[in-house]
Amino acid sequence: MKKIKENRTSTIVLHNILIGVLAFIWLVPIIWLLCTSFSTYDGMNTSTFFPEQWSISHYVRLFQPDSVAQFPRWFLNTFVIACANCVISTLFILMVAYATSVMRFPMRKPLMNMAVILNLFPGMLAMIAVYFTLKTFNLTNNYLGLILVYSASSGLGYLIAKGFFDTVPRALCESARIDGCSEARIFFQMILPLSRPIVVYTVISSFLVPWMDFVYAKMILNAGISSQYTVAVGLYRMLDKSLINTYFTQFCAGGVLVSIPISALFVIMQKFYVEGVTGGAVKG
Amino acid sequence: MKRKQVRSAALVLAMAAALTGCGSAEDAPSDVVSIRVWGAEEDQTLLAELIDGFEAEHPDVNFDIQLGVESESTAKDTILTDVEAAADVFAFASDQIYDLVNADALANLADYEAAYERYLNEPLADIKAANSESSVEAATVNDCFYAFPMAGDNSYFLFYDSNVISEEQAQSWDGILEAAQAAGNKAGMVFSSGWYNASFFYGAGFTTDLNEDGTTAIDWNGTSPEGYTGVQVVQSMLDIAGHPAFMSIADGDTSNQIASGNVCAIVSGSWDAGAAQEAFGDGYAATKLPTYTLDGEQIQMNSAFGYKFIGVNNYSENIGWSVLLAEYLTNESSQITRFEERQIGPTNLKAVATDEVQANYAIAAVIAQSEFGTIQKVGGKYWDPAQTFGELIAQGTLDRNDEAGIQSTLDSFVEGVTAPIE
Amino acid sequence: MEDQRKVSFAEALTKGDLFVKLSLLWMGAGYARRKQYVKAAIMTVLELAVILFTVNFAMQYIPKFGTLGTVSPVRSFNVDTMKNEFNDYDNSFQILLFSLFSFVVWAAFVAVWVKNIMDVYRLQLMEEAGEHINSFKEDLVSFKEEKFHITLLTLPVLGVVVFTVIPILLLILVAFTNYDQNHMPPSGLFNWVGFNNFISLFGGGGLTVSFGYAFVRVLGWTLVWSFFATITTYVGGILLSLLLNSKKTRLPKLWRTLFIATIAVPQFVSLLLVRNFFSNGGIVNTICANIGLTGFLQKIGLVSTSYIPFLSAPGWAHVMIILINIWIGVPYQMLIATGVLMNLPTEQVESAKVDGAKPFQIFRKITMPYMLFVTGSALVTDFVKNINNFNVIYLLTENVYTTTNQVMANSQAKEVDLLVTWLFRLTQDYYNYKMASVIGIVVFVICAVFTLIAFNRMIRGDKEGTYQ
Repeated sequence: MKKIKENRTSTIVLHNILIGVLAFIWLVPIIWLLCTSFSTYDGMNTSTFFPEQWSISHYVRLFQPDSVAQFPRWFLNTFVIACANCVISTLFILMVAYATSVMRFPMRKPLMNMAVILNLFPGMLAMIAVYFTLKTFNLTNNYLGLILVYSASSGLGYLIAKGFFDTVPRALCESARIDGCSEARIFFQMILPLSRPIVVYTVISSFLVPWMDFVYAKMILNAGISSQYTVAVGLYRMLDKSLINTYFTQFCAGGVLVSIPISALFVIMQKFYVEGVTGGAVKG
Repeated sequence: MKRKQVRSAALVLAMAAALTGCGSAEDAPSDVVSIRVWGAEEDQTLLAELIDGFEAEHPDVNFDIQLGVESESTAKDTILTDVEAAADVFAFASDQIYDLVNADALANLADYEAAYERYLNEPLADIKAANSESSVEAATVNDCFYAFPMAGDNSYFLFYDSNVISEEQAQSWDGILEAAQAAGNKAGMVFSSGWYNASFFYGAGFTTDLNEDGTTAIDWNGTSPEGYTGVQVVQSMLDIAGHPAFMSIADGDTSNQIASGNVCAIVSGSWDAGAAQEAFGDGYAATKLPTYTLDGEQIQMNSAFGYKFIGVNNYSENIGWSVLLAEYLTNESSQITRFEERQIGPTNLKAVATDEVQANYAIAAVIAQSEFGTIQKVGGKYWDPAQTFGELIAQGTLDRNDEAGIQSTLDSFVEGVTAPIE
Repeated sequence: MEDQRKVSFAEALTKGDLFVKLSLLWMGAGYARRKQYVKAAIMTVLELAVILFTVNFAMQYIPKFGTLGTVSPVRSFNVDTMKNEFNDYDNSFQILLFSLFSFVVWAAFVAVWVKNIMDVYRLQLMEEAGEHINSFKEDLVSFKEEKFHITLLTLPVLGVVVFTVIPILLLILVAFTNYDQNHMPPSGLFNWVGFNNFISLFGGGGLTVSFGYAFVRVLGWTLVWSFFATITTYVGGILLSLLLNSKKTRLPKLWRTLFIATIAVPQFVSLLLVRNFFSNGGIVNTICANIGLTGFLQKIGLVSTSYIPFLSAPGWAHVMIILINIWIGVPYQMLIATGVLMNLPTEQVESAKVDGAKPFQIFRKITMPYMLFVTGSALVTDFVKNINNFNVIYLLTENVYTTTNQVMANSQAKEVDLLVTWLFRLTQDYYNYKMASVIGIVVFVICAVFTLIAFNRMIRGDKEGTYQ
């Protein structure tokens, strides 16, 4: 035993150095983002990696709204949308997952097949149709419209949750049924508490959607009123040709500020994701 | 047994929503005149001021004017996606006017003569006459006047560092490149854009024009009235692009390149005046575009001269007031305010004549350039092929001595530009 | 409780009593006869609602569905109101959308109507057999019992129908019209053109030759991209996860968190950043020029420009996009692989080690087959998702990449476009909705085929059955 261990000291060091190098490569752009956000220069710095002078002036400016950048407002907008989307999407996904996993009804398989095909249909293609549908109902330039876009079809993403529900032993459900429990009770009082990882995963991942999307948000919030934007649209517009040279550093600062809460959620989520996926797909 | 009933109830709800949704458009009290205005990000403060001024001029009207951000250079894209959802009054760059007119998105301003008479006491003809002739011409399509000229400096010219390049050298590409090479610096221009690279062709007498159906007519693959061939122009461009002191700049990257100190001369517009002033310091100078060597002669480059307009949405709810607001935002006093606050060159003749305007470096260069400017009349199919065409030259993919190859490149370029609109 | 009798519509029609037949016209009739008054009322209200919908809404649009409208807007200015007065003009897109909407409502109604006849007939049979007929309350209770799935699925399905199915159907319809920049509502009208757009795409004459050419090129790159993007991130993810989960790794949690941090930054931030990072005048180019790499590449003829065209020349851009995608995609796959590998049968690995197998052999003979077994079908879905990977391509190349292929430029395509980004540009910048729809349908067909293959494999494996 001892001999093997001695042999390995050098390989352990090499091994960890390799990981370190990889992590460094992966982090270079993120470090650049951080450094640039602390630069005093407004535009993009192309000559040096680290800024020549450091300051937090661009962070300060983010919180002093002007006609272009209204970061606190955007943050609030996105937060509201994200919360609403989170509730609706999570409900939809868990509902569909439960119905398809635990219950048996005639249209089950065709519905599941349809759902998988539809889910892979790129939303981009249907954008104009969705837009005009919303416009008909007076829901453009309206957060309700945006929430609907994010959440209405979310039931299609039920597969991971279903995979998890599949692993909950059926015998439990059966005995509950024999005891006279309604399906609703089984769902709320037995399956959901047993499925904490996948519930947390679904909650976080649907909460994150509005923070990442700029395509739909840009299309639906098209009145050009900056205070209505979400963080993604607002930041994206800062890189407009005519603005990039005055707002690039602010864009970086905004990017950092958005990334902090999202990273935190991500780190929490990944644990549940691993549990959810291993609980779901693997045991089969 | 009621499998479908819950779903049906939901459908009923949806339908009810559909029915009420359609009927409730007219709910707003009719005495509030709501107007939405789009202007460039940098103009927001200025526009807010001007809008206050407009409201003060009509104290008996209950206005609700909202101000939104839409870059002048991309206004068309946003507007055409859904004309009805676009702002009532919007600023845009003059090259977009053809697509906007084609989509029937711009109000024909002559239709609102009654409004000018009643509230301004002057006919449209007088409003037009107050602006420079060429700006009015650029705002006129098929004999209809579609937008009020707002700014006259939407064109490009030469910024240079007079510490490196003498005034005389700045007159020609040969001189500029020579001086730049001697100084170990570079001279730059955007080749991969149909707006910039057209200046070589316009200079040699080639033209573009717009057909009635919105397609583009272009003669660059033939021979110009002056007797130059398109191939010769491309060869001249290749000579410049291949010069070691030349730097081809990506569209939209000019300010960045100026700021980085990589160039001592650059073809760009007044939006870069600030960056150039900072980078060149006391050497900062601006002048008209240089000449280039074509078939052994010096040919003056002829820029695609553009303006900035304020147009009115043809589907605007309160179109009368929108037209008046657009007029107000572009009248003499507004243009002077705009110049004072944003250093933007006016089109209003009286505003142009003021001493302050005359003394501005960049604007003086634009005015010098306006002598050698062409109003670029092209349709939407022009831009992508022209960008690729410029990129081919900039990257040196074409061989200067392969005339047949250059000719076929020009031919397929022209083919793409003249393609029918789908 | 629930009556399991199988009845058919024809049987219900022929053998049903008067009230069943009356239900054809008055949908509540059958229920009223069996004393289910609440149900009868609900059905009546539903029927009335659909009739109202048809008269007040659908009939405004359906009659114009054949022509998609004929009246163009005409306006006249009224100086007293300061407003324009419009004639009653047609909007082709609205006609198309609302007709489709009406068709969907009608189709749903017909389904309910047929079901209704069968239900009331079943009630009749139950009454004849002297069985218990549910009260309304009992019916309601059944929605949290054996019909709980209806309660669960109604809203999600409705959402999917309105926000996914109707848009897809609309897209399919637009592919058969001439909806483009010259025919844009509200000012312009468009109409049906049959299969013309499909003919243009698959090699009609004239300029459309270039469209067909661009289509083949773009499709080719789409498939190549999807293949490499999927494989590289998949393998990379497994390798990284093996590396991180190895016993030799110190502080594995810290490392994992670092990698996760890179994907936690929203893509529109990280990708836009990376694109400026690698732009022609960007920081990487400055560094490469300073250390002489640019000069070296120029010497060996790999670069003809004064900068390295990381994202602006074909070849370079293709490779860079895939590399950057590895940067984004590997941490994700690492997460999945970590989850899966936790369940790797360790006995096999141990016995292989005892037999003296090298790490690589273990990876090839045990780890990979196990991963493929577990995540094989997910691999195919990843492939399909990459076909539609809009974000990576759009954020990295829009406004940066200029094609030097004139034929592609004439069709508004670029070498680095995927079908979806091309389609996006056609609609956003050129309003060429008809061609975009045709391309959309093609993308959909490709995706559907791959997905069906993938999903059927999953179903056939029937992992769900193992536990049930």
